[in-house]
Amino acid sequence: MKKSLAQRIGLGTFGVIVAFLFVFPTYWMVTSSLKTPGQVLSPDYDLIPSSATFDNFVTALTKPGFTTYLANSLIVTLGAVLCSLVAGVLAAVPLSRMRFRGRKGFLMLVLVAQLAPFEALLIPMYLLMRDAGLLNQLPSLLLVYFAATLPFTCWMLYGFVNGIPYDLEEAAMIDGCSRAGAFRRVTLPLLAPGLVTTSVFSFITAWNEFLFAFVFMRDQSRQTLPVWLSSFRTAFSVDWGGIMAASVIYAIPALVFFILVQRKLVSNLTAGAVKG
Amino acid sequence: MTTTKDVTTPAGATPPASPRIKPPKSNRRLRLGERTAPYLLILPALIAILVLLGWPTLQLIGISFRKLDLRELVSGEMVWVGFENFSEILSDSEFWEITVRTLVFTAAVVITTLLLALFMALLMRHLNPVVRVILQVALILAWATPVLATTTVFQWIFDQQYGILNKTLAKLGFEGFIGHSWFATGPSTLTVIGLLVVWQAVPFVAFTLYAGLLGVPKEQYEAAGIDGANGWQAFWAVSWPAIRPILTMVTFLSVLWDFKLFAQVWAIRQGGPDGASTTLPVYMYLKGLAGNHFGLAATAALLMMLVLILLTARYVQLLVRSKEADLS
Repeated sequence: MKKSLAQRIGLGTFGVIVAFLFVFPTYWMVTSSLKTPGQVLSPDYDLIPSSATFDNFVTALTKPGFTTYLANSLIVTLGAVLCSLVAGVLAAVPLSRMRFRGRKGFLMLVLVAQLAPFEALLIPMYLLMRDAGLLNQLPSLLLVYFAATLPFTCWMLYGFVNGIPYDLEEAAMIDGCSRAGAFRRVTLPLLAPGLVTTSVFSFITAWNEFLFAFVFMRDQSRQTLPVWLSSFRTAFSVDWGGIMAASVIYAIPALVFFILVQRKLVSNLTAGAVKG
Repeated sequence: MTTTKDVTTPAGATPPASPRIKPPKSNRRLRLGERTAPYLLILPALIAILVLLGWPTLQLIGISFRKLDLRELVSGEMVWVGFENFSEILSDSEFWEITVRTLVFTAAVVITTLLLALFMALLMRHLNPVVRVILQVALILAWATPVLATTTVFQWIFDQQYGILNKTLAKLGFEGFIGHSWFATGPSTLTVIGLLVVWQAVPFVAFTLYAGLLGVPKEQYEAAGIDGANGWQAFWAVSWPAIRPILTMVTFLSVLWDFKLFAQVWAIRQGGPDGASTTLPVYMYLKGLAGNHFGLAATAALLMMLVLILLTARYVQLLVRSKEADLS
C-alpha cells in the first residue's frame, strides 16, 4: 500500500493540524501565563508571543496561600504514593511468590476494589473522617488517596513481580542468600521500573483528585491546588495571566513524571484487555 | 540388628536427635514462620482495603436506610426509615431527569472519545515517523496536563469577554459572538464540559488502540493486500479483530470514568445554570454535603453505583473470569 508523494504530504499536513488542535489548550495555558495583563485582555491576541514576562509566575508564587496549597498537594500526594507503594510491594511479593490459603480471594478483592466507583463512598468517608476528627486535616486526604490508589498499585506490582523469573532468586538462595536477602538483592532492583511506573500512576491520581479534597478541606489554608484552582471563577475579576501561571506550576510535576513513563503505562494497561 | 528401632519409627514422627539434623523446635518455628509470612505481608494492604474501602461500602448501604440530616448528624441519633429515602429519590422527577442527562452525556462523551481515538490510532499508523512523533507529543501533553489545569484553560478559552474563541469568531466575521456566553444554557455548558473530557480522554484510548494495531503482524496486511482487499476491507479483516478486545476494555473504562465525573462539571459552572448541567455525582454532592441530607445522598450514591454496575456488569464478569483462569 504505497502512497504517492502528494498523499504523503497531505497526510502529514493533516497530522500536524490535528497535533496542533490537541496541543492547543496546553500551549495556550503556557503562552497566556507569559503575557502581561494588557496583552491578555486586549481584543487582539498573538498566537506566537512576541515578548514574554515571568511576572505572572512571580505573582502566583508570592500570592499568599499559593505555596501552602502547593505544599498541601505535595504532602498528601507523596504521602499517599509512598504508603500505597510500601503496602503494595509487601502484598505483591507473597501474592506472586508464595502459595497460601486465601491468596486467590485476596486477589479478587483487589480486582473488585479497583473497579468499584470510589466517588460513591464520599458520604461514609466523610462521616468516618468526621468521627475520627480528621476533617480539615491533611492525613484524611492522605488516607483517602492511599485507599484509592492501593488496589491498582497491588495489582500492577503483582504483575511486575510475576514478570521477574523466580529462578534468579533461587540461584541467589543457593549461593547463600536468605529468602528476604535474595528478594532484596535480586528482585527489588529489577522491580525498580515497575515501582516507578506504579508510583507515577498513583501520583497522577492523587494530584488530580478534587471531590474529596473539596469536601474534606473546608478550611482554606488546608486546601489543595485543584480546589484552589477551581475557586477563582466565582471571584469578581479574574487575573487570567496569574491563573494560567498557577496552572502551569501545577501541571509541571505531572507532566514531567508522565512523560517519563507513558510508554510503559500504555503497555501495562493494554495487558489488562480481555477478549469480549 | 540394632537398626530395627529406626525402621519402626512411624513416618512423620519427630526424627531422633542427631547432630546433623536441626533440633525439631527450631524446625517447627521455621515452618510456622513460613506459613504466617504471606499473611503478615499482605496484612497492611488487607487492613487498608477492608477499613478504608470495605467498611465505608457497608456504611453506605446502612446510611441509605437512615434519615441522616444535620440534626441526626450532630446528635448522633440513629433514625431508621426503611426504604423512605429510596422512594423519595425515585419519585423525584429531578433525579430521573439528571439520571437521563448523565447517561446521555456519558454515552455522547464515550462514543465521541472512541471514534476520535480510533481515528487517531489509524492516523498514527499511516503517518511518517516525524509527524507521528509530533502528534504523539501533542497527545501526551494533553493527556498529562492535570484535570483542573485543563478545566481552567478551557474556561479561559471560552471566556465570555476575553476568551480566544470569541475573539477568533469575531475576527472571522461572526460579530454576534462578541460577549457570547458559552455557559448560558445547560446543553451548551455540557458541550464545553464534554469537549474538555473528550480532549483529555482521547490520548489514552488512542495510544492503547495504537499499541493494539502495532501488535498485528505486517504479513497479515500483506496477505490481505494480495487477496485484493482495499484499505477498508483490510481494516475489517485484519485490524478490527486485533483491537476489538482492547476496544471493549477502553469502552468499559471510559464509561466507568465519565459516568462519575465531578471535578470538571463542578468547576465549570457548579452544575448550573439553574442545575441544567447537573450530573449524578453533582446531585449527590448537592443533596448530601451542601443540602445536609446525608441519608438521601447515600441513597443517591448507592443508586449511582447500581447504574454503573448494570452498565459494566458484562465486562467485569469477563474480566473476573479471565483473571480467574490466570490465577489458578
